[in-house]
Amino acid sequence: MEEDRSKNYIIEIQNVGRTFSTASGDFQALKSVNANIPEGILTILKGRSGSGKTTLLNIVGALDNPTTGRVIIDGQDVSRLSAFQKEKLRRKKIGFVFQSVSLIPSMNAFQNVEFSMRMAGIKGDHKKRVEECLKMVGLGSRMHHMPSEMSGGEQQRVAIARAIAHSPSIILADEPTAELDSAMAAEVTKLFQEMTKKEHVTIVMTTHDVGLMDAGDMVIELENGVQISQQADA
Amino acid sequence: MLQKLWHKKWMVLCLLLGCILLIATVVSFPLYRNAAFDRMIKDEFDDYVSEKGLWPAMNSMLMIAKNDREGKSIVKLENAMAEMDGAMGVTERERIYYYSLSKAPLQSTWNRTDLGTDGLRLGFMSNLEKHAKLLSGEMYSESGYSEDGAFEVVVSQDCLVNNNLLVGETFEFTGLADANKNMIRIKIVGVFAEEDSTDFYWQVKPSDMGIVALMKEDLFREYFLGENAYHYSITCQFFNLFEYDDITAEKVDQLMEKTVYYTEESAIRKTMSKPEYRELLENYLSKRTRIEAALFILQVPVLILLCAFLFMISGQMYDMERNEISVMKSRGGSSSQMFRLYLYQSTFLTLLGAAAGIPLGTVFCRLLGSTQNFLEFNVRRQLNIKFDQSVWSYAIAAAVGCVLIMTIPALKHSRLTIVKLKQSNALRKRSWWEKIFLDVILLGISLYGYYNFSKNQGSLAASVMEGQTLDPLLYLSSSLFIVGMGLLFLRLQPLVIHLIYLMGKRFWKPASYASFMENVKNGRKQQFIMLFMILTISLGMYHAVVARTILQNAKENTEYLEPVDIVIKEVWNKVPSSTDNPTDTATAAYMEPDYSRFASMPGVEAYTKVFLDERGSVKTVDKTQSACTILGIHTKEYGTITNLEAELTGKPYREYLNELAVAPDGVLLSANFRDVFGYKVGDSVEYKDRYGTIIQAKIVDFFDYWPGYEPTSITVGADGTAQKQNNLLVIANFATIQKNLGIYPYEIWAKLEPGATSDAIYEWIKEKNIHVVKYADKAAAMRQVVQDPLLQGTNGVLTMGFIVTIILCAVGYLIYWIMSIRSREMIFGVLRACGMHKGELFHMLINEQIFSGVLSIFAGIGIGTLTSRMFVPMLQTAYAASNQVLPMKLIVNQTDMNRLYLVIAGVMALCLLTLITLVFKMNVTKALKLGEE
Repeated sequence: MEEDRSKNYIIEIQNVGRTFSTASGDFQALKSVNANIPEGILTILKGRSGSGKTTLLNIVGALDNPTTGRVIIDGQDVSRLSAFQKEKLRRKKIGFVFQSVSLIPSMNAFQNVEFSMRMAGIKGDHKKRVEECLKMVGLGSRMHHMPSEMSGGEQQRVAIARAIAHSPSIILADEPTAELDSAMAAEVTKLFQEMTKKEHVTIVMTTHDVGLMDAGDMVIELENGVQISQQADA
Repeated sequence: MLQKLWHKKWMVLCLLLGCILLIATVVSFPLYRNAAFDRMIKDEFDDYVSEKGLWPAMNSMLMIAKNDREGKSIVKLENAMAEMDGAMGVTERERIYYYSLSKAPLQSTWNRTDLGTDGLRLGFMSNLEKHAKLLSGEMYSESGYSEDGAFEVVVSQDCLVNNNLLVGETFEFTGLADANKNMIRIKIVGVFAEEDSTDFYWQVKPSDMGIVALMKEDLFREYFLGENAYHYSITCQFFNLFEYDDITAEKVDQLMEKTVYYTEESAIRKTMSKPEYRELLENYLSKRTRIEAALFILQVPVLILLCAFLFMISGQMYDMERNEISVMKSRGGSSSQMFRLYLYQSTFLTLLGAAAGIPLGTVFCRLLGSTQNFLEFNVRRQLNIKFDQSVWSYAIAAAVGCVLIMTIPALKHSRLTIVKLKQSNALRKRSWWEKIFLDVILLGISLYGYYNFSKNQGSLAASVMEGQTLDPLLYLSSSLFIVGMGLLFLRLQPLVIHLIYLMGKRFWKPASYASFMENVKNGRKQQFIMLFMILTISLGMYHAVVARTILQNAKENTEYLEPVDIVIKEVWNKVPSSTDNPTDTATAAYMEPDYSRFASMPGVEAYTKVFLDERGSVKTVDKTQSACTILGIHTKEYGTITNLEAELTGKPYREYLNELAVAPDGVLLSANFRDVFGYKVGDSVEYKDRYGTIIQAKIVDFFDYWPGYEPTSITVGADGTAQKQNNLLVIANFATIQKNLGIYPYEIWAKLEPGATSDAIYEWIKEKNIHVVKYADKAAAMRQVVQDPLLQGTNGVLTMGFIVTIILCAVGYLIYWIMSIRSREMIFGVLRACGMHKGELFHMLINEQIFSGVLSIFAGIGIGTLTSRMFVPMLQTAYAASNQVLPMKLIVNQTDMNRLYLVIAGVMALCLLTLITLVFKMNVTKALKLGEE
């Protein structure tokens, strides 16, 4: 019965806790978070800085292991995967968008996007797909510019194009709007929404920007590592 | 500030290392120079003393004072001499006065009529009592008078015998009276001789005092000098000996200046004879400029590399602080404030650097002075290290240089604001040197120099002989060549990488792809470190080859010119001839000393008789006589003690000996007989020994080289220009020569057993009381080559340069890599997050290392080898022009190269290790966090 149900959710967060050992003792960043995220929606992880949302996102992205509980992605228990399998998972199924500029400075926009397709091991001609993705983020005309020649918003859009290019099932975005002005932030969020529709991708983004909360199909709010609410708009 | 320094401790340590090495290198230069020069001077004088047995550090004066009014001119001269003595600035060893009156007739009071003389000179020699021993009788008494009021005098053995005088006899000078017209009487109280015949007090030997009677100095002065001098003619000789050990490099100029003044300009110049030491000092001075220039020129590239190192590291450090700087600027910190901060920081580092660098400089100096060979040290003969003003001024100059180099990049950065930083990040353009084609220009200049020098290699040798220094342009050409090639490589390298990238664009794995992209796009950032690597490695190689080649060739040359370990030529006595005509003629017969004695020479493996006449002559085809050297050998014995590499002569050395052995009347001739005079094998030739005895012979063969034979030599003519001259050598059978010339002095050539030393032979000669006119010791000659200040200094500087270069290369490369990786940690985090595994990341970094590091290393090795092949032969010419006989051989010592490769391999391994730890310790989430902050 439970197995059946899980198939509807692409990400299942079950009782996830994370404790960091620091010099001044253990610090519990996450306490038993639970959430089931269905396919093809935009989920917003909400909370102030230090609330544990990035930690949660890293665990979902198989960059970090939970101390307790587990994350199941597409029916696979992530914590049971080997390092190599996790890398494979990240390469094929997940796309990342980071808060600050994360483009490879030595590659231009086109190459940055194409690089994720190389990483995912996608064969064939990448050109069409790369152009499609860059057009999707509205940068069709700036494909051959270097990161240093673009504004922060433009760079972030390239990063989004890169995250989507290899057609992952999940995009994890950590504060993608933090360094953008509010108009730009709204635009990026809108882009995410469109992408969930167009590419049928599941997007989880963290933000502390209250103005963006409405955009999510689902909102998970954290405070001091404790899940205080979860609401689904749909 | 201190906190800031601690934060970047590795960079700071590198800067400190750079400062220390720079200051140490700079300081070691004057330290070594001064110490080596002191040693050179001492060697010049020591050699003179041991060769001639005379004391060269001496001024002598001679004046004959006739009817000198009140003795003023003598007083004046004595004062002038005392003044000169002080002005020279060198410690006095001995001041000798030797005065004598003109010869005056005398008669014995014993009324002897068999006196062998018509007169004696009465005189004195200062401090005679301390240096003379008495053969009979006694020294003149304290008062100087005998009981009957005569002057007590001593005479030499020669004087006593030649003049038939008797000890105890009193004489009256018939032609000499004191100022009161009283007759002067002397009593011979003793016969003196040298206490120690090697005592340099004896500038005038007792054997030269055949008619001199010496009395007490104060009595002589009382009676014959001062007011009384007017009545006499007095020969005054002064000998002013000084301690040459005290002549240090810095005293030479003053000494020279005063010497020139006193001998050429002063009022007493006419009384002075040209001092022996002047030539020694002039000799030294001419060498000094040459050595100083050579050492300086050789050190320049290392200094430039050191500066570049400092510049690179401080630039890197400022790069890391860029954000801090622009933030501070944006918050209102003024440019000058920023600049001052960095100035204090640089000064602080430099002071630390100086504190460690100056002592290290003395260590460098000691190493320089004990360099035995490239990278080989022997501390047998310590240099005397002194800190004088020049050392401190060099140290201060180096320190100021350090501060400037470390602060100048800050000047650039302190003008940055955040806006400008962003802008400058966006700039991506060709380097300035690429635009002006600096590489092509430098290569052009150096190749022009190369062409010029190689065209004029002969005149290069001549110019060195004429006393010119190692041409800085020559060395500069090679340095420019290295830099030019390095830059050319940097220009081509991205193109090659790009080409490789394009070839496999579609197939590259993500890791390779990323590294290619990094290199294609960001390669320019690495140009400086790449150039640095290329320069250090190629210079290191070049220096190793230069040092090895110069020394090895000098050694081999000496080895060749001194064909055997020991040469002894005994003094031969002539047969007492019945006719009273002891002139040197061919008929003069010699008594052959007992040859069998040589069998007891210790440690000798084999020995032979060799006839050598360097003043023979030969009738050339056009019937004129040309000077030649005649060598008579026992072919079999000669062959066992000498050897020659077949590559020099074209056929085995033994074959020549065999050819000569089977032809009793045959001769081997040097190739110039054939090439200049047109002789052919089978022709007959007529040669004469120095006394003109003619020997007819048949030409058996021609040779290009023979042990000890110089085919051509360069001599400097009276007008100062160098001239090349052909040397002719005739080699005949010893038996044939002896048959023609009779019993004739020959030399003994001996080969020592392995491990035996010439010292034993020397002792043996003394013990057997063999009088030797010629003694050659190959080991001593070889030692001289190694200790030659120019060679040793060159070797030392190159060795130190090599070591410093290697340190810089290692540290520079490591720090560059670590910094370059650290600065990109965030990107690596991103890549890892995107699913790149550690192996791939590692692969990517290795690729990058290969593209820049490994390629630069290979380029450096290639450029170093090429430069050595092109320029070392010319440098060698500049060094050894005077006596380089053998064809120059380029010495590439595999051990040196292996050492270099080993260090490079070590550095690469360390880099890899660092990479591995960095990559594997890297925490993805932390790396990403790094980006957030």
